[in-house]
Amino acid sequence: MADFRALILQRHRHLKWKAFDWLEAVLMVLSGVCIFMFTLTVFCDVVTRTLGAPWLWLQQVTTAFFAWGVFIGMAAATRRNDHFYLTEITKRMTGAPRSAIEIANRVVVLIVSVLLIWFGWKNALLDLGSYRMPSLLPLTVYTAIVPAAGVLILLFTIEQLVNGWRHGFEGPEDRDDLPQFVVEEIAK
Amino acid sequence: MSAGGILILMGILFLGFGYMGVPVSFALMAGVFVATAFTPVSLQSMVGQLFHGIDSETLLAVPFFLLVGELMASSDVVHRMIRLSQTLVGHLRGGLAQVVTLFSMFFAGISGSSVADVAVLTRTVAPEMDKEGYDRAFTAALIACASTMANLIPPSIMAVVYGATGNVSIGGLFLAGVVPGVLIGIGLMVYSYFWGPVGVMKPRAKFIDVAVAARGAALPLIIPVIIMGGILTGWFTPTEAGMIAAVYILIVLIPVLRPTHVKELPRDFMYAGLLYSLPLAAVAGASAFGWMVAYLRGPDIVADYITSFAGTDGRIIMLLLVALFVIVGDFIDAVPAIIIFMPIILKLTEVGHINPLHMGVVIITTLVFGLITPPYGLSLLVASKYVGVGFGKALVRSFPLYIVFFLTIGFCVFFPDVVLWLPKMLLPESVGCFKSPTGVGYICPP
Repeated sequence: MADFRALILQRHRHLKWKAFDWLEAVLMVLSGVCIFMFTLTVFCDVVTRTLGAPWLWLQQVTTAFFAWGVFIGMAAATRRNDHFYLTEITKRMTGAPRSAIEIANRVVVLIVSVLLIWFGWKNALLDLGSYRMPSLLPLTVYTAIVPAAGVLILLFTIEQLVNGWRHGFEGPEDRDDLPQFVVEEIAK
Repeated sequence: MSAGGILILMGILFLGFGYMGVPVSFALMAGVFVATAFTPVSLQSMVGQLFHGIDSETLLAVPFFLLVGELMASSDVVHRMIRLSQTLVGHLRGGLAQVVTLFSMFFAGISGSSVADVAVLTRTVAPEMDKEGYDRAFTAALIACASTMANLIPPSIMAVVYGATGNVSIGGLFLAGVVPGVLIGIGLMVYSYFWGPVGVMKPRAKFIDVAVAARGAALPLIIPVIIMGGILTGWFTPTEAGMIAAVYILIVLIPVLRPTHVKELPRDFMYAGLLYSLPLAAVAGASAFGWMVAYLRGPDIVADYITSFAGTDGRIIMLLLVALFVIVGDFIDAVPAIIIFMPIILKLTEVGHINPLHMGVVIITTLVFGLITPPYGLSLLVASKYVGVGFGKALVRSFPLYIVFFLTIGFCVFFPDVVLWLPKMLLPESVGCFKSPTGVGYICPP
């Protein structure tokens, strides 16, 4: 079974280009940095408040790291196929039907990512005129992560579409993703 | 297209895409974006809504409780709590089954994640149960059922999400979750005692063994005290309590109990960073979805439908909502389900004159049941996978345990005074009480 904690997940290797591995590693590191930073800022918030000299801007830094972490993690999870799924019905399929559904799924994600980029960008530009008090940071500092994550999701979805089209979507790790009874059925 | 038609289209698209294999967060977004095209609402504002859905300081508690669970599970300090559980209940009939349940109650007080509980138990107790001849299907079923307590006994991630989106006191939800959590624990222990496998009977541990085990487990067991103590004394918000628990593990627990794990901490943070983004990505999609449901007056449509059966009788409304959420929980993960249906829940809480905290506990207990029901019974899926038994077999063995959950949900619906007793005593404002003008005691709603 794949090491899910690895910096670069080796599962679904056939759907990945080596050239993008560094990007996955960077996103994982950034995910760790975000959660570490907002743990630190909430800690400092409690300490400064207890000392009677609260740093009000800390809460804004906290929410920024929190929101960035969500969207960075969302992009990383797209490359690692780590998102929450209602079902993994496609993993039980093979051949052309499997390819057709996998491609359709990624086209849906592709369209969503394009909408995130376009409208997220427009929102980010609009937010240049809105500020958070008391630091007067433009709201864009927060919302710019939406189109940025959209670009990464688009990139990883195209990567999977191209590689899936060339090599097929099926891989040996599909068994790991399945409930044991399906693995046993396949083994028979 | 009518509002009802758009709502149905949005729901069908979400479930259709979801069951085709599109990730939950993207399936939610796709459903909302298509529905938006049939309304005067702009796509730009819906994309903005995705961000605003997670731009909440209260939701920060989610990563902290996940981090706490992740640090505890990966640093493997939990075996001390397992040893304590063994000395306390290991001598009973079905000893290791009792250990699973008691340990889950302890672990639930530390982590808000059922999956972390499953991961720990399948790695530690499950192999022992295998050696003692326990049926693997029973082992998987019991571990999955016991793990659900992590979402009831505080801290609970579901309670954080419910409180943040429904504007209900999170501290109050934590306290109110204790009763259903403990009831499920007792129910599982009673079932294991009378109807579960016998296992290997062991002698009762001596007092000195219990004392030694309790001393060994004292450091991890301080975590629930930190979390609930901090919240109840008003020192910390639930978010800050989660952070303090994480810092305590980092500064005290790991260096003292497992110093070799320190070099693994960057990896723990990276993985926890990825882990927390998954439910919150679903929260982002679900908040836009929930916003659209509210915009299209979905709560009024559903409330009219439900009140046509139930009138304004709070108990019948609750039972109908329980039926709805048993079905919803079978198909959708609890976190997006809470957010999508929150406008409807709030409307019905108002119509039935139900205490919001009481409604919250009933809904969370019902959704917790969804973790062990097919096809989206996440805890049961993970437990059966790691125990190495077919999902179907584990499912059959979990059917009798469902009775425990039905009884607990029924108890929560019909005995609100018992469920709300703890929050009423310790956090009276959370159940709608306010300080008496005389300055002595509280005045509470009937």
